[in-house]
Amino acid sequence: MMKTSTISALALAALAAGGCAPRMRPVRAIQPNGAIVRSTQDDDVARARAEGSSERARLATEQDQVMGSALAACTPMLCNAIARGELAVGMTREQVLAATHSSAAAWDERGGGGIATLSPRDDASGPKDVVSQIAFVTLENGRVASYAYREPQGVRVVSSAADATAGGQARARAGQLLREGDEFALAGDFDRALNYYDRADIIQPDDPATTLRIARALDKQLRPYEALIRYQLFLHQLEIERIHAYGDAYAQYGAAVAEARSRIIVLERGGR
Amino acid sequence: MNTLTRGLRAALATAAILVSGGCATQVTRVSPDQQIDLSGRWNDVDSRQVADAMVRQSFQGDLGQSWAMQYMQTHGGRRPTVIVGTIRNRSMEHIPVETFVRDLERAYLGSGQVQVVASSEERAEVRDERADQQENAAADTRARMGREHGAQYMLQGDISQINDREGGRRVVYYQVDMTLVDLETNAKTWTGQHKIKKVVEQPRFRL
Repeated sequence: MMKTSTISALALAALAAGGCAPRMRPVRAIQPNGAIVRSTQDDDVARARAEGSSERARLATEQDQVMGSALAACTPMLCNAIARGELAVGMTREQVLAATHSSAAAWDERGGGGIATLSPRDDASGPKDVVSQIAFVTLENGRVASYAYREPQGVRVVSSAADATAGGQARARAGQLLREGDEFALAGDFDRALNYYDRADIIQPDDPATTLRIARALDKQLRPYEALIRYQLFLHQLEIERIHAYGDAYAQYGAAVAEARSRIIVLERGGR
Repeated sequence: MNTLTRGLRAALATAAILVSGGCATQVTRVSPDQQIDLSGRWNDVDSRQVADAMVRQSFQGDLGQSWAMQYMQTHGGRRPTVIVGTIRNRSMEHIPVETFVRDLERAYLGSGQVQVVASSEERAEVRDERADQQENAAADTRARMGREHGAQYMLQGDISQINDREGGRRVVYYQVDMTLVDLETNAKTWTGQHKIKKVVEQPRFRL
């Protein structure tokens, strides 16, 4: 009797243990050990080489045609720009492709009538010229009316030959830096605002608008001596004597001049 | 007695020959294509499978064209340049990543679609040699400074491992991820992935 119950208990325990064990279908090998499995690399590389060389040959032919028609009818200024690899106002569609060393596949063209816009099909690795990556190109009657660069401070539009010069570039970049500085000043972060104003001051020095912003930011930071110097510099840069001669040319600074003069008086009295 | 001793001697001699023959080192040359798994750890077969998969995925694209081909089309036929960055081994095993990275470099160069420049480790030696040439080499044979080719993309990646074990049975899972990152915009241009799963069964008792 005792023996039977012991055997039954053991059998039950064995069953329970079996039930708790992880159940799994038999594993199926996809590659038996010892099998020969040939590498596919050489075939893939050979196929890629064939596809790549035919595509490069096609692109080279296309590029030759684009370059040929771009250089056939360009003025000396535009030919120089193409040779430099730089966009310029007045270029044709082919000259844009030639200057940016891109093909038609790199651009999306939208618009109708006399106006069309070319924008890069891929924003991340779109066409670029020697200056920077291009955000868009606007064509009017088949000629470039304006174009824009994607730059760290935002999009910079070039719509005239003056905008494309080093001075025009500096003016546009300084304007972008001042706008960013203004945003920080608006948020009450005068340290960062000053940082942006200082950078604008470096790329476009002697600009009264920048000096006035620096003076105001220093004034708000309770740095009276530096603010005083900047207010005085602002008035000096405006060449007050000429204001009367130029009349409206500096009219926009009328209120700023009054502000700077009053702050100079206050800061000078505070310093005594 | 004499007969028994002679028989015993013969048996002992035979056993000695067998034992010495069994202990001799045996080397068999096999094809590198043959899959031989001994311990279940990462081996040459895994490395080659990863390289095969990465090479195949590199030249395939979502839109039917590889990333390199798309780059060439948007850049007037110019080929993209790649620099090899860090491939991190996050597994618990020693995995020499150079084996499949070199395979991938070779495939890029062989395809003619991609240019590869020396990695930061490799170029240090080249720069030293170039600097040395400025003082010691004849002017007409000197390699010029500041003429290095800048890469547009960096190849980065990692290897992860998951283990599961019960008794004498072990499941090992490896995942290899590789990414090409645009050096200017940080955009991920291409990602390749390969997964390997192995079941390793070891007897509890061995002779």
